[in-house]
Formats: sequence, C-alpha cells, structure tokens
Amino acid sequence: MRYRNIIYFLNRIDRRILYTLLILAITIPFFYKIRIPVPISRQTDQLYSAVEALPANSMVLFGADWSASTRGENRPQSEALVEHLMRKKVRIIILCFDPQAKFLMQAIMEKKGPSHGYKEKRDWANFGYRPSQANFLKAFGPDIPTTLSMDIHGNRVQDLPVMQGVQTAHDIDMLVNVTGSTTSDAYVQYLQGSYHLKMAAAITSVMVPEAFNRLDSGQFIGMMPGLQGAIEYEQKLGYVGRASIASESSSAAHLLVIALIFLGNICMLLERRIVQAGGAAK
Amino acid sequence: MSGFSNWLAAHTDTMTLWIGALCTLGLFSILYRENKIYRFFEHLFLGLSMGYLMGNIWTDTLRPKWWIPLWNDGEWWQIGVLFCGLCYYLMFFKKVSWISRLIIGFILGVSSGLAFQAFVNDYWPQIPASFKPLWPHPELRDKAGHILVKALSVPDVLNNLIFMIILVCVMSYFFFSLEQNNRVLKRSATAGRWMMMFSFGAIFGSTMMARIALLIDRLDFLINDFGPQIGGQGVMFIVLLALCAVVILLVRRNEREQE
Repeated sequence: MRYRNIIYFLNRIDRRILYTLLILAITIPFFYKIRIPVPISRQTDQLYSAVEALPANSMVLFGADWSASTRGENRPQSEALVEHLMRKKVRIIILCFDPQAKFLMQAIMEKKGPSHGYKEKRDWANFGYRPSQANFLKAFGPDIPTTLSMDIHGNRVQDLPVMQGVQTAHDIDMLVNVTGSTTSDAYVQYLQGSYHLKMAAAITSVMVPEAFNRLDSGQFIGMMPGLQGAIEYEQKLGYVGRASIASESSSAAHLLVIALIFLGNICMLLERRIVQAGGAAK
Repeated sequence: MSGFSNWLAAHTDTMTLWIGALCTLGLFSILYRENKIYRFFEHLFLGLSMGYLMGNIWTDTLRPKWWIPLWNDGEWWQIGVLFCGLCYYLMFFKKVSWISRLIIGFILGVSSGLAFQAFVNDYWPQIPASFKPLWPHPELRDKAGHILVKALSVPDVLNNLIFMIILVCVMSYFFFSLEQNNRVLKRSATAGRWMMMFSFGAIFGSTMMARIALLIDRLDFLINDFGPQIGGQGVMFIVLLALCAVVILLVRRNEREQE
C-alpha cells in the first residue's frame, strides 16, 4: 500500500515543486567554484580556428541580433567572441537588426575594450539598429559607407578611422552573426552567398539542429551552439566568463530534467501495471 | 530638479538592479499561477519594447538617412520618400485607393526578386553538399602539393552512409507523385518519418536547453548581480527559497480548500 502511495504521489507531484528543484539545481553550483572540463565540439573548434587564423587588423563584421529575451545564451557567446577578436587585434564593426542589441553590445565593447587597448572609432564602431534586414544587406554589400552613413553617436563613416579602406563587402574578412532569431538566414542569402564571405554563427540552442545544414555545406565555417557552445569556446580560449560560471548550473539542471523524465516514465508504467492488476493506486 | 538629476545619475546602477530584480520576480510569479502582477509586468515589457523600437527607428535610420540629408544636406528630393509612404494610406479612400496598389505592387516586385536571390544563395550550395563520397580514399594533391580532395577514412564513410540513407528515406516520405503502395517506397517513407521524429526530438531537447540557459541567466542576475544589494548572494538565495516555500504553501492550501 505504501509503495502504491509513493507511485501515486510521484505521478501527481505539483509542478511548482519541480520548479523549486530546478531553481536549487541551478543556484547551488553558483556557490561552488568547481570547473568540470567539457569536450570541445567540432563546430566550436572550427569557429575558434577560423578566428585564430585572422591576421591582425582584419575587418570583422559583427552582426549582433539578440535582445534581453535571449541574453542567457547570446551574451556569453558575444563576450567570448569579442574577447577572442580583441586578442587577435582585429577591427570590429557592429551591426544590429534587433533594436536592443546595440546597447547590449555597446556595453560589452566598452567593458572589454580598455583591457585590450581598444578604442571606439579607431578599432571598433557600433552602427546600431537597422530595420528591414534584406533590403539593408542588399544595399550594404556594394556600398558600405553610404549604407551605414553614421555610427550610433552620429559620427559619419568617413570620419571613423576603423572604416578606412572599407568600401564593399569584399573588404570584410569575416562575418560573425550572434543571433537569437533567423537573421543568419538573411546574412547567408544576401551577403555570404553573394560575396563568398567567411561566415560563422553563434546561435541559440533551438536553432542548432537546422543550422547543421549550413555547416555541412560550407556556408558557415564554424558555429557556436547555444550556451554549451559558449562554455566550450571559453574553455578553448582559456577564459573564465559568464558561460563558465553557468557551466555547472547547466549540467546540474540537465541532469535533473533527465532524471525527472526517467522517473516520470517509470512511475507511469508502474501505475499502469498496478491498475491493470486490478488494484487502485490509492 | 538638478538635485534629482544628480541623485538619479549617482544611483542609476542601483536602480537598474532593483528594477531588473522586481521585473524578474514579477514575471516569475506566473510560475505560481496567472495573476495581475504578472500581467502588469508583461504589458510594461511589451509597451517598453514597442516604444524602444520606434525610438530606434528614428535615431538610427530615419534621422541619419532621411531627416538630416533632407534638411541639412539639401537633398530636397528625399521628400518623395515621405510622399510614397503616405500613398500607402490612400487604401482607406475608395476613389484614390488605386494609388496605394501601385506602391504595394512595387514592394511586391522588389520582394519577389529578393526572394529568388535568397533561395539561390540559401539552398543551392546545400544541394551539391548532399552528395557525399561513400568509399574511403587517401588525400589527393596536385603537382604543387595543394590538397585537392581531403582523405576519407572508414568512420567518415560510415557517417556519409548514414547521412545518405536518412536523406533518401526522408525525401521518399515527401514523394507524393505516386501512391505509396510499393513495398520499398512504403518502408523507406516509414523510416523517413521515424528519422524526422528523431530530428523533432533533437529540436525539442535543444529548446529545453535554451530555456534552461535563459533561467540560468536570470538566476545568475538575481543572485550574483542583485544579491549584493540586499546583503549578499547567500541572502538572495534564502529569499528565493522563501518565495518558493510560500508558493508551495499557497498551492497546498488551495488543494486542501478544493478537497
């Protein structure tokens, strides 16, 4: 009878108790500084190698298309990528097709810039939010200065040292798109495909299974898949950032969810067996 | 007024953290059940995002690309853009609604052209990439020593074989030109459906991962960023636990009342 009651209780456990367990699984690792090494996936390794191969002073177009709603994945990705790009001493121009991204990226660049000797206008520039991505990219490819015209502070493109020598998309050495939506589609369709740019994407986990097509076809030269990708990238970089802090919480939460799925299914099967045997669960 | 401005400037960071924490907890209240606090913060967020978007369209696009050239650089002809935009609204006036169709037709034409380019650039490179070698071979180089074809090991071939089988099976599922009575076609279509189920499972698993990552970010904010404001990370952890306990007690009380 007791066994049946336990099965009955587990099958009807309130979802708010599960939320509490999840909160505990995520928050407890914040208080312990254990770092479990993670294996580096092929796609993250490819992205790392592509950035590593960039010569100093290369021009990188950083497409930041994320907002507060996907910050949990896209911020660690952006921070890890910016850290690596700044270590490589490349020039960075930021373009956003999400209105919130311009200030989120500005904050990251202003935080990381000084420690790497980076100065706004000289080494990097933020061109802010642009609506209508397809039309904008179509115009951007053949004539970058006219299409961008001004950065977020109102400085004209011709007055920005970082933009010297940049006329068309052929002058861009690499395109990195950190996105929480489908903006990487338009980048492939109107920029990467037409100008054969080296393109890499840092995307949210939801988009990963479908993005492998582009990795296989060479449209992406590398990819950072979700928070896991950011954790791997930081490990590869030897850098402890937001992703590394979240690493153990992520593992604990996933283990809990897997355990609950197993437990739920086992309890369901056991209750079904009890009912079939003719006994009521409670 | 300037005193308030100074105070605001000095306390911006603190206020940002407090507002962020209150909004987060307000939105998390949905985990208990639908309530007015959640509704308030949801509407606040929607309103803020829309206002923010409108502001950004003006500051980052309309002002530098249209307003400044029109008024400061003497590009008077840019007024025509405004005229074209306003023509859209003529659809509300029966007698002249045909003018709005000219603009809509123009936009449709441009979009169709863009869609064709999008299709070519997006899918064409994926077609040859789907043809994969199924026989192991060593690296092939030209006379100058440049790699022409990368070496293909037995595990690579196995990967390619699995890829090809899945590709053919899934494509056969979408083959509707004939009735699928043929035994081979029927079985491959069934296998294709199974493969797609695996794929949907992977997408669902990835969605779970994404949602957990977002929760980690919010809890990281509450404990590590906001926590020091109220006495430390440990204090915030205890506050969170207390809130969870209150929610569970409320749920238990409701259950008892229903019984």
